[in-house]
Amino acid sequence: MRLLRTVGLALVVAVLGTVVVSCGDGGSGDGSSLTVYSGRTEDLIGPLLEQFSNETGIDVEVRYGDSAELALLLQTEGSSSPADVFISQSPGALGLLAGEGMLAELPDDLTGRVSEGFAGSDHTWVGITGRVRVLVYNKDLVDPADLPQTVLDLAKDAYSGRVAVAPTNGSFQDFVTAMRSELGDQVTVEWLEGLAANQSPNYPKNSAIVEAVARGEVEMGLVNHYYNLRALEADPALASVNYFFPADDVGSLVIVTGGSVLASSDSQSAGEQLLAWLLSEDVQATFVTETQEYSLLPGAGRPEGVPELSGFAADTIDYDVLGGGLTATIEIIRESGIER
Amino acid sequence: MLLVGLVFLGPLAYVVWRNVELGTDLVAVIWDRETLEPLVRSLWLASTVAVSSAVVGTALAWLTVRSDLPARRFWKLLAPLPLVFPSFVGATALIAGFAPGGLAEELLSVVGGGSVPDVRGFRGAWLVLTLFTYPYVYLPVAARLAALPPSLEESSRLLGRSPFGVFRSVVLPQTAPAVWAGSLVVFLYAVSDFGAVALLGYDTLAEQVYADRLFNQPRAMGLSLVLAVVALIVIAGERAYERRHRVSELAARSAHPLIVPLGRWRPVAFAGVLVFLGSALIGPLAVFGFWAWRGVTSTSTSVGVATDFGDLLVPTLHSAQAGLITAVVAIAALLPLAWAIARYRSRRAGVANAMVAAGFALPGVVVALSLVFWVIDTPGVSIWYQTMPLLITAYVLHFGTLASRVTRVAVEAVPAQLGEAASTLGARRIRRFLTVELPLMMPGLLAGGGLVLLSTMKELPITLLLAPIGFDTLATKIWGAGEAGALAQGALASLLLVALSAVLTWAVVVRRIEEF
Repeated sequence: MRLLRTVGLALVVAVLGTVVVSCGDGGSGDGSSLTVYSGRTEDLIGPLLEQFSNETGIDVEVRYGDSAELALLLQTEGSSSPADVFISQSPGALGLLAGEGMLAELPDDLTGRVSEGFAGSDHTWVGITGRVRVLVYNKDLVDPADLPQTVLDLAKDAYSGRVAVAPTNGSFQDFVTAMRSELGDQVTVEWLEGLAANQSPNYPKNSAIVEAVARGEVEMGLVNHYYNLRALEADPALASVNYFFPADDVGSLVIVTGGSVLASSDSQSAGEQLLAWLLSEDVQATFVTETQEYSLLPGAGRPEGVPELSGFAADTIDYDVLGGGLTATIEIIRESGIER
Repeated sequence: MLLVGLVFLGPLAYVVWRNVELGTDLVAVIWDRETLEPLVRSLWLASTVAVSSAVVGTALAWLTVRSDLPARRFWKLLAPLPLVFPSFVGATALIAGFAPGGLAEELLSVVGGGSVPDVRGFRGAWLVLTLFTYPYVYLPVAARLAALPPSLEESSRLLGRSPFGVFRSVVLPQTAPAVWAGSLVVFLYAVSDFGAVALLGYDTLAEQVYADRLFNQPRAMGLSLVLAVVALIVIAGERAYERRHRVSELAARSAHPLIVPLGRWRPVAFAGVLVFLGSALIGPLAVFGFWAWRGVTSTSTSVGVATDFGDLLVPTLHSAQAGLITAVVAIAALLPLAWAIARYRSRRAGVANAMVAAGFALPGVVVALSLVFWVIDTPGVSIWYQTMPLLITAYVLHFGTLASRVTRVAVEAVPAQLGEAASTLGARRIRRFLTVELPLMMPGLLAGGGLVLLSTMKELPITLLLAPIGFDTLATKIWGAGEAGALAQGALASLLLVALSAVLTWAVVVRRIEEF
């Protein structure tokens, strides 16, 4: 029975390990500790949260995951959720929870820190950083003179089969919602049908499009600006280049990442303190240099080699629409036949 | 046992309840071109993958256990490992290798050019899923062969049958239940996978659930129910088939395992195994090795290329811990069920078995949310919320069928007369089980445990949502690195995951199967 002994021993070790692990986390709700659900990944925001913890003495515990799935988790947990703060990669997930009345109203001096339009109009969430939609292209395959003046042009025959899209990806869906609110459903549907007729190649997410463009598998693709910046860091020899649409074009939509405090949290003020800290000038400068995103503070600096955030979206898009209108957007995208 | 069945009912009951609560118009959801076409694609993909995995898994098992294939101990160690690649990781590697402009095309251009077959769409999805799921067939069949008394095959040969004749008339009927059990698991897995099919652009039902999970919950839940029903139908079909076709199986311990000489087929078989395991294991490893090497040797500190071994030490331990505990708990929890089905043909156990299978066909997110739903506000159990015991429970609910199917095959192979003989000799029930039945079942149980172990170590959505805070595994690290665009760190974590799987499957599964 040597085997039973081995298995038994492995189990004892494993169970002991569990006890040690579960002893490590305890205590919440007394105001000096915060549980954060973060849709942003650990290597980006983990060190910042640790720094916050050191500066304020507030203990921070973080559950990392996909923004959409964390939103589903929060929705299912309801008022019993252990979470105090939710940080999301996209306004859509925040909008869903705001719609269910699960997010607490934030004070004006917090939502007022960012430029106008970058917080929920009901003050349930505040933008933390911004990403701009761009057209990434392969410089060996595309003559810059061929690049469109507006994203609407991509539906024309000239771009047939040349532009990659990610129709099931949150950023693309947010972008289509913005287009609907700005130009109306009819223009949006015609644009999507144009892309569908162009047999635009489908990819599941932004990073896959950037990789495909860099390889030369497809000439161009609609993505967020920082994916290509990161890919170029890993391999500066890549042929992929970001093209920013003119500032007044809906193509240059700003998509925000945002933070919120759960209505069910016992640590509202500590939660607000964390969001305020993330919006402080020093931390915002870190986002700009480390993750190459835009700061949403008025007059803040911007990442190297990208145009100013004067963008179209800043004061015209109602981000609440991005949350509330997504169901209809997904339906419109599906019906257009763009998904292949 | 009824209690075990009841717990397994959890995810399915949750899906049904959500459909009622959301008022999903099931007929409208199902009777829609946008549902039926992906459903047909799901079934077509799952069937073809099940068939190809059955062929490859069985052939590989026979070659490594029963033939004089060169270096077979080495292959025996490698063969189960591709299972540990999360399918999105495998698909990423395949695309990096074979897509237009990828590594393979670069290599071809060095030797004068040539075109690479398109890996997107059905072909890519079929290939990736076959390459990474055949171990679901391989492990149980290899275990069955290890427990199959060689005397049968020897007599058959002495009676003048050719090696192929022996395989067809003796080996195949005796291994058929194991092949069948493994292929069903492959089928159910292929139905529920979305990582690979999404990356390779083959739009299946599971992929639709994923796309709709946040903003069209009625449809996502309706489609989840369809997935579960597909699983139940398949299991019911299997039971109906089984009732009509029963083979009496034999298991025995043998001191001299039978080795069939391959003769002039030996180089051919060797080349075949080399090419296949090369694409399933060595190909992806080479891609990760390249990325990781670029990171380790780079002086840049940017997230894209930086690597950090120390950061992966604790996650490695967590992965091993989660995998081992889940494997043992799953086998312990499902052995009684498997016993009841195999020995007593219990109808209730049959229903419980179908529930267990449904837990595997539902997407991991749904399984995780169902546990949140049942546990968070329930007095008495809510204190376990997001703790290790709940995480292990969720894993067992999701992967239990891997243990139960293979375990059942193991139980069926133990001749009932043996137990009876032991009891006439005065052995008590427990002693009889420990000394007679358990050792005979051991290869099968270990194979089942190995499947659970490897599957748990690559699991992602359940781990992200239900693990205690801070319990990061290699799989969550790979995912996080992918999200952040940190190719090198993700590749390093993938390499560690494969190395850990190799150590564990060798120590706990492969070496032990041979001993018995």
